[in-house]
Amino acid sequence: MKHGSETLSGFFIILALASGGVATPLAAATRESARKPAAAEAQVTFNRDIAPIVFRNCAPCHHPGEAGPFPLLTYADVKTHGRQIASVTRKRLMPPWLPEPGELKFADELRLSDQEIATIQSWVEQGEIEGNSSDLPRQPAFTTGWQLGKPDVIVRAAKPYLLLAGGSDSYWNFVFRTPVDRSQWLRAIEIRPGDKRLVHHANVLVDREESGRRLEKEPGVGFGGMELVIESEAFDPDSHFLFWKPGSRPYVEPDGMALRLDKNTDLVLNTHFQPSGKPEPIQPTLGLYFTDKPGTRHPILLQLDNDRMLDIPPGERNFLVSDDFTLPVDASVLAIYPHAHYLGRDLLALATLPDGTKKILIHIGNWDLNWQAVYRYEQPVDLPAGTTISMRFTYDNSAENIRNPNQPPKRVVAGNRASDEMAHLWLQVLPHESGDATIDPRVQLQEALALHHLQNNPEDFEAHYNLAALFEMKGQLSAAVLEFTEAVRIRPDDPTANNALGAVLLAGGQIGGAIPHLNTALEGRPDYFDAHYNLGNALAAQGDFAGALTHFQAAVRLHPQDANAEANLGSALAETGNLKGARLHFARALEIDPKNELARENLEQLNRDSHGHPN
Amino acid sequence: MGRRWHTIPVIRLLLVVIVAAGFAWFASTLGARNTAFDLAGNPVDPLKSGGRKIVVLVFVRTDCPVANRYAPTIQKLSEEHAAKAAFWLVYPSKAESAEVIRKHEREYGYRIPALRDPQHVLVKESQVEITPEVAVFSSGRRLVYHGRIDNLYQDVGRTRSVATTHELEDAISAALGGKRLEADATHGVGCYISDLE
Repeated sequence: MKHGSETLSGFFIILALASGGVATPLAAATRESARKPAAAEAQVTFNRDIAPIVFRNCAPCHHPGEAGPFPLLTYADVKTHGRQIASVTRKRLMPPWLPEPGELKFADELRLSDQEIATIQSWVEQGEIEGNSSDLPRQPAFTTGWQLGKPDVIVRAAKPYLLLAGGSDSYWNFVFRTPVDRSQWLRAIEIRPGDKRLVHHANVLVDREESGRRLEKEPGVGFGGMELVIESEAFDPDSHFLFWKPGSRPYVEPDGMALRLDKNTDLVLNTHFQPSGKPEPIQPTLGLYFTDKPGTRHPILLQLDNDRMLDIPPGERNFLVSDDFTLPVDASVLAIYPHAHYLGRDLLALATLPDGTKKILIHIGNWDLNWQAVYRYEQPVDLPAGTTISMRFTYDNSAENIRNPNQPPKRVVAGNRASDEMAHLWLQVLPHESGDATIDPRVQLQEALALHHLQNNPEDFEAHYNLAALFEMKGQLSAAVLEFTEAVRIRPDDPTANNALGAVLLAGGQIGGAIPHLNTALEGRPDYFDAHYNLGNALAAQGDFAGALTHFQAAVRLHPQDANAEANLGSALAETGNLKGARLHFARALEIDPKNELARENLEQLNRDSHGHPN
Repeated sequence: MGRRWHTIPVIRLLLVVIVAAGFAWFASTLGARNTAFDLAGNPVDPLKSGGRKIVVLVFVRTDCPVANRYAPTIQKLSEEHAAKAAFWLVYPSKAESAEVIRKHEREYGYRIPALRDPQHVLVKESQVEITPEVAVFSSGRRLVYHGRIDNLYQDVGRTRSVATTHELEDAISAALGGKRLEADATHGVGCYISDLE
């Protein structure tokens, strides 16, 4: 079906200040001891001890063209930032890695051991000795340009965004028109967000319904905003994390996990920038890498949240927001993405297995929006049905939280702006197939999730909508009508929900009930293809062929490549006596889709009639 | 507190003039000791140049992201106080050439005169340790304040959405009004100048 709305509020944000080697003053004691070799300590040299640490952990960002504000590739590079490096590593500000170490390992973990940090401190205290050149490992080689090689297709943002020299952080969304003329499978999207020193993080969302375009003041300019809601089909390739942060390598989906890209699909790049001190035009590009291996395993993004609990009084230092969801099916967790804004402090996700065993899925003890990331597990985490996934996020709305956007603090509730808060936990899970081919575990999971969200908040628009779409998919039309009606009650003017309610009423033969909703959908969004198409059908079913004609004409104008719209336009023309026009559009439908039965049958009928009753 | 008079540097500066004169035939930047230089390579003592204005030295480094992020703030403050305060950008890195500094000034929209301080003469006199830190001198080379510009940064990568204290502006007001500051020295957040030695 053409409707479905999943709120991927977008994974937003952040990659912090480009990174590295900046420093704050060392504690006085360290200052005193600087450059006095500790007698008992072994001598630490750059070539033998420091270079391997720096090359592996720092250089991936700190080399020309990357996010690090200066290179860390040679002895001279490292020496000229030596005390900074000692300071930021000691405080674990660098390399940026938020999760606490735990039982479950993440891929590409960027965390120095205590020993490595101590070695760096000793090296600086001992006077930054270079050491024997024969000890120096080979300098790492980095690919310049596209990390995955030349992309099959490159798309560039139509217009640059101008980041101002000063002020606070900026959030901008670029809408890319995808250049495919048929559905293709993607194994990777490489995001080149522009000058990497400015971008904290970037995220691609697949937008099949032009949700992003509708927010642009003029085509191609993009639009502001920290969080996004993208409409999608019920099960969608959105269930992939397409995330960029400084130093991250583009992720290539394994075989069978490719994501589908259709024509007329947009890719929306949600970005977070920090001013650099000078004006910077930013014009990102995306590299698309296709594969001929279609997606056969379809993950789902589970979203835990509890926005209704988010109502944080000013001054509150330890405000808890929790959510608990029990998996109805066996599933593997592939990746996790916790998200809060500037008040978030301690972010914990926990799995309690049916036997009572607990696994920490992720624990971030010192949340920093600037370094948020998607974390992929080194090995998928298998969780049996009956496992409860728990989100425990705490928030600090005191004046002592230096990131608090409100000084003095004020009451903060859930919302999409930087001064609002969020408590979201996304998990990318792969539900296991059940033995019964008639049961789709994804449907079970989505249904359980929608019901869970409604339990948290009976006024959850998206949950009613998604539940309705699932009922509709299973052919339970009256249940679908009830849930879509709830969605429309909550947002009476929402075009998507009105269209969906109209469509499902129409499918159940309740034409009179459908028409007002379809009209409402078009009032809100006059260029809504689905609503024109559905209203055309509703009017035709009532015998109002002239009315139907208008809407099919609008539909064909909006989607000139839609064979069904052409065929229906042909039918409406035939009914209103324009046989020549009807033939033309049936022929056009068959040109687009030679297998379009409606067009073929109607055209044959028309030909038979014209033999019997020559004009 | 304490360090109110800097008689010794004055004597050293006298020596400098002699030494510099002696080596004036070749690159003055190589020859001159105990001085900062303008971008043409001439020795300059910004603390003598103020006349009746107070002098603000702003220590920066072209590759320090924290210092760079302050560029609009620094430029704006220099314009607001132009009538009474002479601002100088001071680049303490030996490695940053006049050409690199000119490019940096252009890119970041600076219209403040720049000095190179490869021998850290001004760094020492100003008692600064970090870029970006500032030093405010009233007439008579009296160091009124040295340290951070404001409290935007708590640490590297840890910033407020806006600064809530404005130490440089307070120091300028204090110097102009002949008042003493509660805190005449703070620590900046940014890049260590000693790493440049």
